[in-house]
Amino acid sequence: MRQLALGIRLRDESTFENFVIGANAEPVAALRTGTAPSVWLWGPSGVGKTHLLQAACAEAGAPAAYLSLGPGDPLSPEALAGFERARLVCVDEVDAVAGDARWERALFALFNACADLGTRLIFAARAAPRTPAWALEDWRSRAAASVVYQLRDLDEAGRIEALRRRAERRGIELPAETVDYLMRRRARDLGSLLALLDALDQASLAAQRRLTVPFIRAALERIEGTRS
Amino acid sequence: MSDSLWNRCRRVLEGELTEQQFNTWVRPLQSLERDGELRLLAPNRYVVEWIDQHSLARIKELAGSFSDGAAPQVILDVGTRGPVSEPPQPVANGKPAARPQRAPPAVLGSRINADFTFATFVEGKSNQLAKAAAMQVAGNPGKAYNPLFIYGGVGLGKTHLMHAVANRLREQDPDVRLAYVHSERFVSDMVKALQHNTINDFKSAYRSLDALMIDDIQFFAGKERSQEEFFHTFNALLESQQQVILTCDRYPKEVDGLEERLKSRFGWGLTVAIEPPELETCVAILMSKAAISRVELPEEVAFFIAKRIRSNVRELEGALRRVVATANFTGRPITLEFAKDALRDLLALQEKLVTVENIQKTVAEYYKIRIADLLSKRRNRSVARPRQVAMALSKELTNHSLPEIGDAFGGRDHTTVLHACRRVKELRETERRIAEDYLNLLRTLAG
Repeated sequence: MRQLALGIRLRDESTFENFVIGANAEPVAALRTGTAPSVWLWGPSGVGKTHLLQAACAEAGAPAAYLSLGPGDPLSPEALAGFERARLVCVDEVDAVAGDARWERALFALFNACADLGTRLIFAARAAPRTPAWALEDWRSRAAASVVYQLRDLDEAGRIEALRRRAERRGIELPAETVDYLMRRRARDLGSLLALLDALDQASLAAQRRLTVPFIRAALERIEGTRS
Repeated sequence: MSDSLWNRCRRVLEGELTEQQFNTWVRPLQSLERDGELRLLAPNRYVVEWIDQHSLARIKELAGSFSDGAAPQVILDVGTRGPVSEPPQPVANGKPAARPQRAPPAVLGSRINADFTFATFVEGKSNQLAKAAAMQVAGNPGKAYNPLFIYGGVGLGKTHLMHAVANRLREQDPDVRLAYVHSERFVSDMVKALQHNTINDFKSAYRSLDALMIDDIQFFAGKERSQEEFFHTFNALLESQQQVILTCDRYPKEVDGLEERLKSRFGWGLTVAIEPPELETCVAILMSKAAISRVELPEEVAFFIAKRIRSNVRELEGALRRVVATANFTGRPITLEFAKDALRDLLALQEKLVTVENIQKTVAEYYKIRIADLLSKRRNRSVARPRQVAMALSKELTNHSLPEIGDAFGGRDHTTVLHACRRVKELRETERRIAEDYLNLLRTLAG
C-alpha cells in the first residue's frame, strides 16, 4: 500500500529574489522601480509572467491585487470594478478574454480609472498588446500605450538554476544526474518542468523514496500513464 | 508603523491560502481599525462574497486571538478608506479625519490632467481645426460654439483637447465649476445615484456646472435611461449658456443606438474631426514628449518610431516610454538600436526571413532536439511529432511546394508532408499542448 502524502507543502512564494532573471533584467527592473504607469509583459507560458506579477504584488504591500483572467479562473468582468483603489493591479492572462466585448469594456474602464487615480497596472499575456483579436479599439490603443517587454526564455543553465532553487526551497534533494535526466527528457519549458518537480515531490513523499533516476523513471511512467 | 491587528491576521492568512487566493482576494482589502472594530473594505461585492465564504470565519477567529480582551467586531464591506496614494489619515475621536472637499466640482467626474494643455498639444494638418475650435471655446465659453463636438479615432488627442479647455478655464477662473467625465463613468455614477436614491443630487450637481465635458459618448449607445438623463442635463446647460464639449469615435449621426433627438442636438454647435496625424506631426509629437521628459531623442529615432506607428498617438507614447526606459536602464544615449528593440517587443516585429531551414532550427530548439533528428529516419514520437509540426509550419509560412518541403526534410515523399499537415491540423483541434506549441512557434517565426 502506498502511503498518502500529507496535504501540506511549503509554499512557493514568488518573489523577485527567487526569480531567475536570465535575459530579463530590464523588465524586472522596470517592475521594481515602477515608474511606468502601465507595463505589459508578454511571452509563452512558463517564461515567468505569473511569478513576476505575484512578486510585484507582494512587493507593493497592501492594498494590491493579482487578477488572472485565464479560463480556469472564476472572475467575471464586473469583478474588476473598484480595484483601481489599490496601489497596484496586476492582470494575468489578459489576452484570454480577447474578443469578448464585455471583458474588454471592463478592462478599458479599469485602465481609465487607474490612470485617473495614478494606480499602477501590470499586464501579462502571451502576445504583444496589438496582437490579440480585441473587439474594442479603445481598449487596444490603451493596452498598446503600456511600456511593453517581451520576456525571454531561460537558457538551459538558467532552467537548471530555477529547478535547483525550487527544489531547495522545497527541501527536495535533487542529485546532479537526476537534473541531467530531467533536462534531457522533459525540459520543454520551465513551467512544465517545475510542475513535473511538484508531481515528483508528491510521488517521492508518498513512496518515501529519494528522487533518483530509477525512481523518477518509474514515477514518470505512472504519472504519464494516469494522465492519458 | 506599529503592527496592526489586520497585518497580523494577514500574515497568518498568507501562509494558509494559496498565493493566488491571497493576492486576488485578501491583498486588495483595506482596513480601518478602531476600538473594538476591524472594518475590512473590499473593491467590490465579488471580493466581499469570496472573503465571506472562504475566510471571514478564520479572520474573526484570528482577530479574536490577537486581541487582548473582547474579540473585535469584524465588518466586511465594499468601500475605500480614501486615496491610498496619500499617507493613512490620522484618526481623531475614533473617526477618520474628514477630508475637506469642494463640492460640487470635486466630486464630479475625473481629475483634470494638468499636462494636457494647449501648449503641449502638437498641432498638424490633421488636428488644427479641432484645436482652433477648442481654443475659441476656452476663450469664450458657452458662447462661441455650444456644444463643441469633436470626433475621430482612438488615441488622436480628443481627450487632450478637452483637458486643455478645462485647464484654460481654470486659469481664467479658479472657481469655475467644471467636470470632465467619461460617458461610462457618467452611466455608472447615475446608476449608483439611482440605487442610493440620490438621483436628485446627481441631477442638480451636473446642472449647476459652468462647463461639462463628456468623453467617448459612443458608450451611451443602447443605454436609454442614461441618454434620457443626459438629454435633460444637456438641455439645461445649453439653455443657461453653459459650455458642453463632447467627443466620440465617429460622426454623431453614425452612432447606432443613440436617440435621434440627441444626435440632432449634437449638431447645434460645431462638429469638428480629428484625423490621424501625418508622419511629420508624429515626429513632432515624439520630439515634444521627449522634451517634456527631458530626454534627448535623435530625429532619426523619432522618424523610425513614427513610421511604424502612424495611426495612433497613444501608442507612439508607449513606444517612446519604452525607449526612454531602456535608455535609463542602460544609462546609454538613445539610439536606433534601442528603438528597434522597443518596437520589436511592442509590435512583435520580426525582421528575419522565414525559411525552411529557419523553421527547422526554431522547432528543434523549441522541442530540445537536434536538427539532425528532424531530418533523420527515426520515427519515435519525440522526434516524429516535432518533425510534423515543422513540416506544417513550412507549408504555412513559406511558398515551397510539398515535394520541396519533403526534400528539405531528409528527402521525404510529398505525401508524407501532406499527411503531416493534416495530422497537425487535427491535433491542434484536439490537443491543447500541440495547439499551444504551434501558436508559440508561429509567433516566434512570423511575429
